[in-house]
Amino acid sequence: MLLFRSEEHVRRWCDTRGLQQGAVFTPDQMWMVAKPWHGRRLEQGWRRFTPDEAESVFASAGLTGPFWQLGISRGQSP
Amino acid sequence: MAPTDDDVRLHILRELIASGTAPSVRRTGAALGVSESDASAAYERLAANRVIVLQPGTRDVLMAAPLSAVPTPHVVRTADGRSHYGNCVWDALGVIAMLGMDGEVETVCSDCDSSLRLTVRGGSLEPSDAVVHFAVPAARWWENIIFT
Repeated sequence: MLLFRSEEHVRRWCDTRGLQQGAVFTPDQMWMVAKPWHGRRLEQGWRRFTPDEAESVFASAGLTGPFWQLGISRGQSP
Repeated sequence: MAPTDDDVRLHILRELIASGTAPSVRRTGAALGVSESDASAAYERLAANRVIVLQPGTRDVLMAAPLSAVPTPHVVRTADGRSHYGNCVWDALGVIAMLGMDGEVETVCSDCDSSLRLTVRGGSLEPSDAVVHFAVPAARWWENIIFT
């Protein structure tokens, strides 16, 4: 996951590497995910989100659709 | 009471925050009062559960999310004057969230290498024209966590 100056730079980076463009979104959306995802890591008893919880966090930042779904193997979240 | 894997996880994170260096299994064992082999087993369980990432073929910590144990292009500078490395921009912002203080992420555009900065003040991210790109769908991130 990388940061780019603009979406044009994303397209150029993907073209150069023969990659399909993935998901492009704003740093603010990333911040909305980063806060719940990492904000409690220094607490005793922290645990990773379940897949459902992870998808809910993505959705709360407007990150929905197949790219953000964790698939049929739902044992662990990313 | 014997330390739990969560105690080991927290020890790794706190050492990384304080010194910038991930503790070896020996140091963690000594700090928590357990044998090196027990500490090693805890590292392996944490890695198997995707809580930490080890350097291939070793028990040296590579990632203890959101922190990187090795230098990356995603530098986090926090209001207490410390600096840290995030594994990616998400994790770099996550370092600021985890520490609960103002901070900045200094990184570069992956296409043109120009400097980019994200600033968090008072719990909010200041406006930025930059964009984030995930190349790999969420369900496949752990096929290669180094490249997402």
